[in-house]
Amino acid sequence: MNKEDLKEQFQIDRRTLIKTGGAAGLAALLGTQVTSWGASEKPIKIGMVDPMTGTYAALGHSEITGAKLAEAEINKAGGVLGRPLQLFVEDSAGNPGTAVDKCSRLLSQNEVDFLMGTVNSASSLAVSQFASRHHKLYVCTGGHVDSLTGSDCKSTTFRTCSTTWMLTAGDFDLLYKKFGKKWYFITPDYAFGHALQADYTKQLKKVGGFVAGAALTPLGTTDFTSYLINAKATSPDVLCLLVAGNDLVNCMKQITQFGLDKSMAVGGSMMELEPLQALPQTARYGWWTMEWYWNQPKVPHVASFVESYKAASGGEYPSARSWFGYASTHAIALAVARAQSTDTDRVVRAMEGLALPPEVALKPGQAVYRAADHQLLSGMYPGEVVKGGKYPNLFHVAEVVPGSKIALPASVSGCELPKA
Amino acid sequence: MLRASQRLLRATRLRTGEVGSRALKPRFASRGLTVDLILLFNTFNGLITGAFYALMALGLALILGLNNTINFAHGAFMALAAYFAYTLEPHLGFWGALIVAPLLAGAVGLVVERLLIRRLYGRDPLYTLLLTFGLALIIQDMIRTIWGATGVPLTIPQSLGHPLSQTYFFLTGYRLFVVAVALIGTGALFAILRYTRLGIRIRAGNADLETVSAMGVNIYLLRTANFVIGIIFAGIAGILAAGQLGLDPTMGDGLLMPAFVAIVVGGVGSLLGSMLGGLLIGAAAGITTSFYPAASEVVIYLIMALMLIVRPRGLMGQEGLLE
Repeated sequence: MNKEDLKEQFQIDRRTLIKTGGAAGLAALLGTQVTSWGASEKPIKIGMVDPMTGTYAALGHSEITGAKLAEAEINKAGGVLGRPLQLFVEDSAGNPGTAVDKCSRLLSQNEVDFLMGTVNSASSLAVSQFASRHHKLYVCTGGHVDSLTGSDCKSTTFRTCSTTWMLTAGDFDLLYKKFGKKWYFITPDYAFGHALQADYTKQLKKVGGFVAGAALTPLGTTDFTSYLINAKATSPDVLCLLVAGNDLVNCMKQITQFGLDKSMAVGGSMMELEPLQALPQTARYGWWTMEWYWNQPKVPHVASFVESYKAASGGEYPSARSWFGYASTHAIALAVARAQSTDTDRVVRAMEGLALPPEVALKPGQAVYRAADHQLLSGMYPGEVVKGGKYPNLFHVAEVVPGSKIALPASVSGCELPKA
Repeated sequence: MLRASQRLLRATRLRTGEVGSRALKPRFASRGLTVDLILLFNTFNGLITGAFYALMALGLALILGLNNTINFAHGAFMALAAYFAYTLEPHLGFWGALIVAPLLAGAVGLVVERLLIRRLYGRDPLYTLLLTFGLALIIQDMIRTIWGATGVPLTIPQSLGHPLSQTYFFLTGYRLFVVAVALIGTGALFAILRYTRLGIRIRAGNADLETVSAMGVNIYLLRTANFVIGIIFAGIAGILAAGQLGLDPTMGDGLLMPAFVAIVVGGVGSLLGSMLGGLLIGAAAGITTSFYPAASEVVIYLIMALMLIVRPRGLMGQEGLLE
């Protein structure tokens, strides 16, 4: 076969490839979700975007499972305003651009009434802007950056998870009083990490502590050794890990292998059940804040929620992320019921100041969407990771700090919502 | 060295902001961990990391050479082998899993080569690149379906999980073991290629596949064997990586790029080059971390870019090969 022949063959094949590829892509794009509802009533539709693939897939999975459980519960109890609730879930892959694309599709194809979701801050900010432009209610499940309900707040955006400030304020007192005032930070080098470090630094300064140093680590760092060498050189009282997800897993694993957890206190802002699960038993340690924990024997409804979640997810225990998805879905349904309408403005108004009932809040104390900035204020759970603990008993809650006590007042957070 | 220390202090100050800078200076002195020592630690540590990059690059380089395939699924195969090891570990122990799991991954590699990659030999390498890119996504999703999206812990033997000295805390038994495996792996591969019939054929195939074929060697079989060996190396690297990193479906993504960079820097077609490339970028990243941690990831790509401009074939690459 000479070269010319080969070339020609290539071209035909390439075209076929492109055609088939294009057809397959188109099919995927046009593929519509099959609805299982045969009800005569028009369903109330919520579009959810969350990562099902990529780094944040585990966290997204928990949020989606929680939301689906809420959907099932609501429909079992007769739906909202006598109409079924329908959840459409799309994969954001943790990418802001993809998240917005999927939202746009949810609006135009599925004609959803409300939007919710996203694990990470960047996607949340992007979706928040998108929702505001299209005048749709958006309930953020899991993006923590302060500005979402601060300087970038929108009248159509509500947030169920806490702010970065609340994450740091949750366990700061505990760490400071217990271990000392000289801190070293391992900070992920993007908005979320910078915000966390600034928040901790502010609180440290206030009480006379100081920052011994900080390492800015690129997102997706696999080897933390060199940062840890620098950290150890300053021998801090507290080694404060602000990294999240896989980075946190890698960092904690390496800290134990180097035995550093024995010479300094290790802690940080946000701990979640998912990364703890991914750590070997010996690498489970330290002081952190959780935003919700499944083991709350004294709080009503929690045990039954855990049971129904386990039944729905094949034996998994709910994490804080599961609760975000669960509470957000219920909150939208409650607001619609209160507004007696799916009109965006009316639902927004109904959601302002909405207090989650105990069977949804699943926390001691109040859980209220603050009218001034649309941030849910609910309890935070600082505590200690059970050393060498076995799943699911991985965390010991030291206390539940009421959100209203530690959240910055809306006047300070920089949020100015137009008066309705 | 004095200038270096001043630079480090300045860099640290940049990072810590005003609060820490005043407190930092006397601390270094009082701890006995001098700035020079930190630099030494970081260089040393960089070499350890580099050895690991080299180990990952070996299989990749092998497949790139004879199969003419830019294997984008290499990272996915690493993760797959690590998941196999995670499943096998309770039954076989860490050491048993370290041997069996790469072989299982190799078996998957065998099927993949026979059914898919083989059909694309003789075409533009872009085809196999696209194929393996797709494969990477498929394997990743398969892992997610079977083992779940949440990461899982792979336990390493207690005997290896400790630092060997309090001062050189970053020297754990495990990391030394990884370096040893990287060295032995390179040595073994070198010996196979140099002294065995299979190795000589592989090298001959690298140089001129058609002639080798004309001399009666079954090149399909040869390429299959080569691919499987490459995947087995990927498997070993993946399991060792999972010992110190979190094991989740996307684990391979972050490991693949440094391996590629190691090959490009070291020179395509040269295993020793890949080894040197790995060590070089590892050390460079380590040294950069002493001065400006935020640039430690970028620096390896910088080295690659420089290498491509100054010497496109890499440190020890063959002239004209993928240049």
